[in-house]
Amino acid sequence: MNRNTTRQATAAALALALGAALSMSAVPAAAADADKERCYGVSMKGKNDCAAGPGTTCAGTSKVDYQGNAWKYVAKGSCEQMKSPTSPTGQGQLEAFQEKKS
Amino acid sequence: MSAQAGFAAALLDAARPCPDGLVAWNGSDPARRFAVYRNNVVVSLVDALAEAFPVVHALVGGEFFRAMAQVFVTTQPPRSRLLAFYGEGFADFVAAFRPAAELPWLADVARLEMLRVRACHAADAEPLPQAAIGALLADPARLPGASFGLHPALGVLRSAHAVVDLWAAHQVDAPDLSGLDPARPQAGLVMCECDAVTVTEIPVPAAAFIECLQAGASLGEALDACSADGGFDPAAALGALLRAQAIVSIREGDKDHE
Repeated sequence: MNRNTTRQATAAALALALGAALSMSAVPAAAADADKERCYGVSMKGKNDCAAGPGTTCAGTSKVDYQGNAWKYVAKGSCEQMKSPTSPTGQGQLEAFQEKKS
Repeated sequence: MSAQAGFAAALLDAARPCPDGLVAWNGSDPARRFAVYRNNVVVSLVDALAEAFPVVHALVGGEFFRAMAQVFVTTQPPRSRLLAFYGEGFADFVAAFRPAAELPWLADVARLEMLRVRACHAADAEPLPQAAIGALLADPARLPGASFGLHPALGVLRSAHAVVDLWAAHQVDAPDLSGLDPARPQAGLVMCECDAVTVTEIPVPAAAFIECLQAGASLGEALDACSADGGFDPAAALGALLRAQAIVSIREGDKDHE
């Protein structure tokens, strides 16, 4: 097989693979998040999805249970029904809040 | 040895005496104050490792982990003031740590956990829309020479052991390891999605292909490097990258237009 034929075979194999891969994973990126909401004040220490305050940049960095500025992705509508002992309303909130003193 | 180097060496080696010239603010014995500080330094670094490597910690238990981590801390103290990345050398250390030799998968679990730490702190990058990637199909002759710029958070690990299963089993409070075969070779893809770090199992040959792309190889070069591997499915490898939204740019070198 000469160099050109090899190259064509590689191109064909890649085109086939990329086409298949694209059709298999053609899920709109936003779909996965559509039924989730960010819920503040309900995550356990170190189990937050993100935003645990100054000096921390990402998931798993909250320092205490129910930290008011740490959030977790939860099913839409369920956030404000979840218990949060640190929250002034007693439930999780859709915005970061100042924890009340217990 | 400078006073500072002597102080640092004595901090990490309990056999060394308290450095000369220390004075306690309240007139108490400087040697006792120094011993407290020495203990705090080591304990805080061991704590940092325990937080970065929770599954290694769970696999060996707290007592073993802390003893192992203490040896690491005193022989390989942090080189950077960024404690978040402390533990880069931990997996290699674990691999060579004789008392852990009975758990040959432990070092790779540590590697996976370090990839998660890196992914968590990696820069953000916007994934390419699938339409832009699909546009490559318009002219397949360009495909072999094209290469992908991959997301900075993307990590790939190939292991002779079931590292992804071991890691996944420990994401619940009461891990159930029954039915888990640690001797099964496994590969994992680590990615930061929606601000959470994910770990996904991918076929081992796909991991090799993605490693080639990460190293800057073109699609054609990566395919050549992997096609000798029996059972390699390039569609599965590309699909894993697409699902992880890990492709952030396409480069087309001139070498393919010969």
